[in-house]
Amino acid sequence: MTFPSSLDDRANTAGIVANRVLTTLLVAALIGAVVLPFAAMAPNRLVSGQAISVIEALLPWQWSGLGGLALALALCALRRPLPPRRAHLLVLVLAPLWLLLVAYGLGDYAHRALQDASPAARVSQSAAFWVLVFCPTLMIVDALQRLHAGLALRSAYALPVLVGLAALFAGGTFDALSIMREYANNRGTFAAEFRMHLLLVGSALGPALLIGLPLGLLAYRRPGVRGPLFATLNFFQTVPSIALFALLVAPLSALSDAFPLLDALGVSGIGATPAIIALIMYSLLPIVRNTYAGFAGVAPATIEAARGMGMTPRQLLWRVELPLALPVILSGLRIVTVQAIGLTAVAALIGAGGLGAFIFQGLGQYAIDLVLLGAVPTIALAVVADFVLQILVALSRPAGAR
Amino acid sequence: MIELEGLTKTYAGKDVVQDVSLRVESGEFGVLIGPSGCGKSTTLRMINRLIPLTRGRIILGDEDVTQLPPEQLRRRIGYAIQSIGLFPHWTVAENIAVVPGLLKWAKSRSDARVDELLNLFHLDAGEFRDKYPHQLSGGQAQRVGVARALAADPEVLLMDEPFGAVDPITREVLQNEMLRVHAQTRKTIVFVTHDMDEALKLASRIAILNAGRLVQYDRPIELLTQPADDFVNDFIGKADLGLKLLSRRWVHQYQRQAPLFDDTTAQSTGNQHAWEVDAQRHPIRLHGGRLDGDGTRQRTEVNAEWVATAEMPMKEALSRMVWFRVMALPVIDAEGRLIGEVTMHGVMGRQP
Repeated sequence: MTFPSSLDDRANTAGIVANRVLTTLLVAALIGAVVLPFAAMAPNRLVSGQAISVIEALLPWQWSGLGGLALALALCALRRPLPPRRAHLLVLVLAPLWLLLVAYGLGDYAHRALQDASPAARVSQSAAFWVLVFCPTLMIVDALQRLHAGLALRSAYALPVLVGLAALFAGGTFDALSIMREYANNRGTFAAEFRMHLLLVGSALGPALLIGLPLGLLAYRRPGVRGPLFATLNFFQTVPSIALFALLVAPLSALSDAFPLLDALGVSGIGATPAIIALIMYSLLPIVRNTYAGFAGVAPATIEAARGMGMTPRQLLWRVELPLALPVILSGLRIVTVQAIGLTAVAALIGAGGLGAFIFQGLGQYAIDLVLLGAVPTIALAVVADFVLQILVALSRPAGAR
Repeated sequence: MIELEGLTKTYAGKDVVQDVSLRVESGEFGVLIGPSGCGKSTTLRMINRLIPLTRGRIILGDEDVTQLPPEQLRRRIGYAIQSIGLFPHWTVAENIAVVPGLLKWAKSRSDARVDELLNLFHLDAGEFRDKYPHQLSGGQAQRVGVARALAADPEVLLMDEPFGAVDPITREVLQNEMLRVHAQTRKTIVFVTHDMDEALKLASRIAILNAGRLVQYDRPIELLTQPADDFVNDFIGKADLGLKLLSRRWVHQYQRQAPLFDDTTAQSTGNQHAWEVDAQRHPIRLHGGRLDGDGTRQRTEVNAEWVATAEMPMKEALSRMVWFRVMALPVIDAEGRLIGEVTMHGVMGRQP
């Protein structure tokens, strides 16, 4: 008589795991936490330190807390007892707690470890820390995806998590860490380089848009121009960035030598000028291509109707073609902005400044934490720019299609 | 009124439209028809100069508009196309108000016009005004497309196969609606189609084009009974010519007085038949008038499907008689009262 229910049980045990992504991430995090070092303790900033495991670094309440969160997350990955929606929502609560606890644990360890060490001693984060940060981040992204969360919801969710991290920063939790010591040593230049980085990106994107948008429109209106134009821009894109920066140095030096006026304007072979020119050249292809694709994507019937209604070519462009092409054009701008933020870091090599300056200094001194002082803000900047532009793209979609 | 004079379009030395002259009077429903590539669409698009004309003149009202800037001309001519081309980033109201906007109408005036047009097409203004095109069905979108074309009360309405892409049922509904709207607005219409039944249903005048030339321009009946040449003859299609003719005739042309059934004399003989009505003159049943069985004594209950109205095409009335196997159909008015009948004999007795 129990036949039907036993069949039922068997069917359920066959698929005990409901969320494979979450399971994989949990297993990866656990293996990482056990196998890899969590932090490194070094007598000074230049030598590589002694590896410290998670258990050694964290206090019992901290690592047991992490273990508890991991168990709860494992429950969320199972088919029972939680229904899928509730499980995803629970992940969105647990994973950030894990994230903040890992961050707090590292900062807290650094304070304790350095209490009776020499002033030159340094504590840095190691591989297990990154694993324990990336895994919950991916869990959050995955859960948001599974809940089909829109941009508004994502922004609303990201805010408290960011506020929590900011509170840890402001509370001085991380002050003892090596990367923050590097920041403290470079406090004056950091703000200046950060501004320079933004300035370089901005001065490249402005002209790139001014040139790229009309070129994209031209490619749309004149099929004959399209082939040669895209071939040229493609060619720019294939030149390695370091090579392009270097190749611009000689002709620009010659130019500024030949024309004192240019020299007076600050144009020279090294510094910001070649960096901006190279960034513009890299930015053109995505902008032109997306502008062209945006215009080409407007339905011919819509254009025929607009002309048939008696719109002038100018009205057609501003009222119909441009608004409908805008989401695709802004997607191009999004690609280009993220790309430019990354490439600007390389531009420090030819003396343009920016956050890349820390990276190359750090590389020169073999001070990894100085490299990170340049790299982490660059990544953060790119992520924020990407997110902001994603919102702009969504807002620019035709109201009805949002 | 719109008149085309010697309209010609030459592409690469070849005339795709050759010397087309025709005149659509005010309030007329003109249809351009012909096989693919006959130049009917090109002719239509030359009228609002979406295609520049090689030679010829266009007269709108009593004004030669051939030299008018195209944008100004187009704002005076409504334009509806098969693919509709609603602006996806604008609401229904914004779509309809495009030409009033280009003509710089006051907001209140164009708002009122939008509501008026939505009502004309039986679309609830409150519900549809703020919808976006992607929320509309195909039929609704095409109604909005035609409403948009009519927005600024144009002198002429051009329609390029507007119902070519909708399903047959919606197409029929839209055609009927177009007839009603035409009757209500008395717009001058130039309509392109390749479907002869659609042309016969809608047109007050039909222009048949072949290989860029105007072959015949006549009223539908004349086109059917006096085709200008073999091409027209073939294009119309001989097989169901009789039915096509009936599709251009109306029940009221065949209608005659209906014999009423009288209880006291309760006898009908031979082919005779009589209608039994209630106190309000609603037809209840038909006595006799059937071919099957003992026709004289047969009684047939009237139902909502086998009645005719005075405005119904005779083709449809005939179809109902055939389907219900009766020799007569009651003609009723809007209140359902019996006002006459049409009979099989009546259809046959009239010379087509």
